[in-house]
Amino acid sequence: MKYEYWFAQIARVNDRKKYFLREYLGTAKDIFYIEEMKLNKMEFLNEQDVNTIMQAKKTLDPDMLYKDLKKKSIRFIPWFSEEFPEKLCEIPTPPYALYVKGSIPERTKKTVAIVGARRCTHYGEKYALEYGEKLAQCDVSVISGLARGIDGAGHRGALMGKGSTYAVLGCGVDICYPREHIGLYTDILRQQGGILSEFPPGTPPVGCNFPRRNRIISGLSDVVLVMEAGEKSGSLITADMALEQGRDIYALPGPVNSSLSRGCNQLIRQGAGILLSPERLLDELGILPISSGENTDKNKKVLETGENMVYSRLCPYPKNLSQLAEETDLPPGEVLEKLVSLELQGYVKEISKNYYVTL
Amino acid sequence: MSFSTVLSASIQGLKVEFVNVEADVSNGLPGFHMVGYLSSEVKEAAERVRTAIKNSGMDYPAKKTVINLSPATVRKRGAAFDLPIAVSILASLGQIRERSVRNTLIIGELGLDGGIQEVPGILPIVLAARDAGIPLCIVPKANAAEGALVEGIQVIGAGSLAEVLGFLSGSIALEPEPYPEDKVNSCIKEMPDYSDICGQETIKRAVEVAVAGGHNLLFVGPPGSGKTMAAKRIPGILPPMTMEESMEITKIYSIMGRIDAKAPLIQQRPFRNVHHTATRAALIGGGLIPTPGEISLAHRGVLFLDELPEFQRAVLEVLREPLEEHKIRISRTHGNYVFPANFMLVAALNPCPCGCYPDMERCTCTSGQIQNYLGKISQAFLDRLEICVEAPKVTYESLSREKKGENSSQIRERVCRARDIQNDRYKGTKIATNAMLQVKELDKYCRLGKEESRLIEQAFTALGLTARTYHKILKVSRTIADLDQAESICVKHIKEAIGYRTIDKKYWGR
Repeated sequence: MKYEYWFAQIARVNDRKKYFLREYLGTAKDIFYIEEMKLNKMEFLNEQDVNTIMQAKKTLDPDMLYKDLKKKSIRFIPWFSEEFPEKLCEIPTPPYALYVKGSIPERTKKTVAIVGARRCTHYGEKYALEYGEKLAQCDVSVISGLARGIDGAGHRGALMGKGSTYAVLGCGVDICYPREHIGLYTDILRQQGGILSEFPPGTPPVGCNFPRRNRIISGLSDVVLVMEAGEKSGSLITADMALEQGRDIYALPGPVNSSLSRGCNQLIRQGAGILLSPERLLDELGILPISSGENTDKNKKVLETGENMVYSRLCPYPKNLSQLAEETDLPPGEVLEKLVSLELQGYVKEISKNYYVTL
Repeated sequence: MSFSTVLSASIQGLKVEFVNVEADVSNGLPGFHMVGYLSSEVKEAAERVRTAIKNSGMDYPAKKTVINLSPATVRKRGAAFDLPIAVSILASLGQIRERSVRNTLIIGELGLDGGIQEVPGILPIVLAARDAGIPLCIVPKANAAEGALVEGIQVIGAGSLAEVLGFLSGSIALEPEPYPEDKVNSCIKEMPDYSDICGQETIKRAVEVAVAGGHNLLFVGPPGSGKTMAAKRIPGILPPMTMEESMEITKIYSIMGRIDAKAPLIQQRPFRNVHHTATRAALIGGGLIPTPGEISLAHRGVLFLDELPEFQRAVLEVLREPLEEHKIRISRTHGNYVFPANFMLVAALNPCPCGCYPDMERCTCTSGQIQNYLGKISQAFLDRLEICVEAPKVTYESLSREKKGENSSQIRERVCRARDIQNDRYKGTKIATNAMLQVKELDKYCRLGKEESRLIEQAFTALGLTARTYHKILKVSRTIADLDQAESICVKHIKEAIGYRTIDKKYWGR
């Protein structure tokens, strides 16, 4: 296996060529011991590739490399391994190998990807959390990219729902990017989830890695949910790849004037599924049929008149104190008082100084 | 007699040091020697004095002149010794009788034509002279009104050296400057008023609460939301100043040479808008012999720091001591200087570098940028700003509305009522406003009922409050209750106070 790892982690030769070469010679051990002359004869390799491989032979010791990998408790799963996710074999450009901390999604479980903009509104974040949680509660594995914004919210939701969730990174699995998600990173591992990447450990988070990893996110999933995406969002790349890979796409509709929902609304127009509620999604995925009699008790909020007056003016998009005071025609001190009591009861949240959204 | 001495004074920090100006004119090699630990501007007095004496129509004999300013251990600075040096020389020459300058304090800068120019620090010097039992002061004419604010001492404003000479030798009669009553009364200028601000009711309410309890205030809002406008109007709703306070501030301004001769007594609370390039010394005071900085100029008034994150971090950190102790201590090798600094701090910042957060439609900042922006201010500093309120963008509707808001005097009335309640409550203690309550006094003055305790306990866990924010919330609720003229703090007061709690950087921009 150490030779296989040595070969897989050579980043400058592309996956396709690596695949051919190994098919041609049998195992990576043969590649390690092959002479340069023979390599030169292979037509699909150019001079640079040969040089890279010869260089790697000289400078990298497979034993050391493999020991290092074990020390970091990172699993190495090449494409020919038994463990390699079946779903990834189906996609047009499967990764040569996966590096994994923790576990990989179980074959028997349904997998759903929750993706969206990094710069998201409270609205998108809220639903990413909610879908993550509900899906996890129904034993669905949630897959995302550990990025800021929607991705992080999806993971967090799944953790709240006591499910396992999997993060596919655009850097080595030993690097937490963005750094502020280190808490999330450890929580995912603690809760039997996994951190996955096709990039060898130690690869820095370079911009061009991220669109590539998106194909793995969609590839690992049965269904892709796009929570919030602008017109040129990276999440739309994921959606495109998901289409190529034959995955179902669902998008969360948003207000037509919100630029961050434009991508989602566009997807719906192009025929993506529409996310109306987690229950409905679970029904459509055939996981949990909707029971007709169930009524969400969220609508049964008992509020006093003043609080109700303020609450009824709030929405998932932020509104500020003075707007509310103007709309309700109450003195600002009183509105603030109502808002705080709504906040303490858990109906609203102050997301920035004196800006409030419903929960 | 060839020797004479004249009394003058200099300012060290805020303190007045009396200085004896001694002159000796005798036979010898002609020359002018000055001693007494002098700075270069005092040494330059030699040329000014000699020329001024000559140009005032008197002879300056070719004799040896020695000037000594005692005590020799105190550093003397400034041009205010010109006049006493000239008078003392004239006395040694016998032009003025020595007796007539005894018990007279003389101060002023000379021009080459013999005219007397104004100098800073007249008010504290005249005050000190009165306290020392000196009956007469001769000061520059331009400073006479300022000096005349002090009762119980005669202050004479002189326009030229010839006038002083005439007065001291008895040939010209100069009347002591009368108490500038008309100037004192007329110097209450028109202040900017809150009725100029359309809408923005939330800001006005927060300002009212902050002023009523003496709390520090933080505005969070995009550029152009009227943060500066609102801050500028705060002095107009603070309670009127007492005579004592006025004199205290006028003294500081006098030392800084900022007194307007037409309105010598400062009767409005100062408003100091400090630019974010300010250095530490500019803010708290500094120099070899320290002079007061912005925080002392804002004493009993408002210090406004716009664009808070643009300030150097170290500059903001030095504000922590004066915010707690209401004075600033500056240490030098030759001594400590204490300047008063009891001000209300009003600060403003943008919610993010572009100012649009949390409107994600327009905000172009990443959460990293926002964290970076706020990271320049320490949480400890933010926690000292007890009241925090959002300053929203002004909408066209509120601008175009006919209806005018309340004016400042209406707000001030309520503020004064709340302050009266506080004065009654804290009678006999050192506390003046709710903001000055110490943690151990909270139990006594901010006692909560059962329901109120439960609410604050709930808030503590639900909103992740810290002990420090908890105490601040209690103080602010006490103020809101006082504005409401309520004996004890109720649930609604606490709720409003919670709404004004300071921003927590941890949860911002995520």
